Amino acid sequence: MASRIRESIFGQALASVSVSVLIGFAIYGALIWAPTEKTMGFLQRIFYFHAASGEVMILAFCAAFIGNVGYLIRRKIEWDWLAISSVEVGLIFNTISLVTGPIWAKPAWGIWWDWGDARLTSTFVLWVLYIGYVILRRMIENPERRAVVSSVFGVFAFLDVPLVYFSIWWWRTQHPPPLITKPGGLAPDMLKVFFFTMAALTALMAIFIRQRYKLEAVRHTVAEMQIEADYRNEGGAK
Amino acid sequence: MNSRAKSVSLTRAIASVFAKELRVEFRSFELLTSTIVFALIVVFVFSFAFNPSAADSRRFGAGFLWIALLFASSLMLQPSFTRERANDSLAALVLAPIDPFAIIAGKLFANFFFLILVELILLPAFSVLYNVPLLGIIGPLAGVMLLGTFGIATVGTVFAAIASQARMRELLLPLLLLPALVPLLIASVGATMGLLSDSRELPSAWVAVMVCFDIMFFTAAWLFGGYLLEE
Amino acid sequence: MNHFGSVVAAYMFIWGILMVYQFTVSKRVSNLRQEVERLKETLERGKRN
Repeated sequence: MASRIRESIFGQALASVSVSVLIGFAIYGALIWAPTEKTMGFLQRIFYFHAASGEVMILAFCAAFIGNVGYLIRRKIEWDWLAISSVEVGLIFNTISLVTGPIWAKPAWGIWWDWGDARLTSTFVLWVLYIGYVILRRMIENPERRAVVSSVFGVFAFLDVPLVYFSIWWWRTQHPPPLITKPGGLAPDMLKVFFFTMAALTALMAIFIRQRYKLEAVRHTVAEMQIEADYRNEGGAK
Repeated sequence: MNSRAKSVSLTRAIASVFAKELRVEFRSFELLTSTIVFALIVVFVFSFAFNPSAADSRRFGAGFLWIALLFASSLMLQPSFTRERANDSLAALVLAPIDPFAIIAGKLFANFFFLILVELILLPAFSVLYNVPLLGIIGPLAGVMLLGTFGIATVGTVFAAIASQARMRELLLPLLLLPALVPLLIASVGATMGLLSDSRELPSAWVAVMVCFDIMFFTAAWLFGGYLLEE
Repeated sequence: MNHFGSVVAAYMFIWGILMVYQFTVSKRVSNLRQEVERLKETLERGKRN
């Protein structure tokens, strides 16, 4: 048990350092290297991390879905650890894209929130759905029940994602169009920075999920040891 | 789950759970009366809060109607699993030699039926209170109501089974259910709004979204709902 | 440099939330590790008795 928790310190340090370097390059690319956009100017530099966070969020929720289905089929608690870790990390990136969106929208369009924006609005619905997943887990004590019940909920939440997106997108077309049209095509250099940022944040997501997964593993060990200790104590009292 | 001998066919099992739910409810009408009163209160409260003119009602009435239904159903679906707790009768149901999905489906169809009964009273009241004539569009409106209600009943029944296993279940069900029903709400309001407008046109895109929603989640309930009942 | 403040605010927020999350997770892990050590000791003592 304990050996599984103890990981190679060197490997972890190497991973953290290389991800930090990647993130550093991404920040440099987004803030300095990328050309300044003509109409929006410097403000458009929020886009790189804002949009990349949105994409990474989708990746994390996909990983959570795999964990949910994996648990329901295989019944190994490790799948459930993957699911909760991915949901939590996905929620972090979800929050980033939710908060940076309005910070960008206010100076660009004069409003904080545009309900007609299908992506931002569906990101908000996803945020509420997956917060529900985290709250649900806190309300169930038994680890196996929790895994089963939250896996079923996770599957339903994930199936909802495309429906949420398309229904909001269609809904928008019935409403007045957004105040200012969004930047359509990106310059090749901008696209390069965007893809690089996405790669860096994906690596960060992987590290975060791994760490969160380890937390769940240690928690499991503690629970098992606690049961053993309680058992011994009761045996000793007799 | 599949190893268990299924001595009763799925449809017969669903039918008997459905009949049992109806018998329990029709003994007291507790759930139906309170839900109907609650839905009417919500519709009332909206008219006090917004004081809509006849033109406003045509534009926003669809939204009021569906919000009232959504709130009412998030309360009504709650007891479908929790009221089995009193005598631990759910355990007995689960022990029966039937596919666990039959229990979910039987309750799902029963909830669907109850919600339709609620709508049969809510719709005329809505029509009178908001001055919205519904008789001319009764056919397509019925279709929209059936599709939307089936979606609510499907996701709602599964989520009621989910919430019933957690602490604070009364609070948890609306918290989980309402965001999940967002696409259905948008589509049903869109479709109803089209019917209430002057052109009385049924927007086919919204009907398609509702059909997709219903099929997707009914299939998901079929595939995964049974897991919620295992001991 | 138009809207410099907005960009700074956005990036500060991103940095902040990632740091806070990283900190809370590693804090929770180290607390649990201590718990493991403590339980190990209790179990060892139980064996000796």
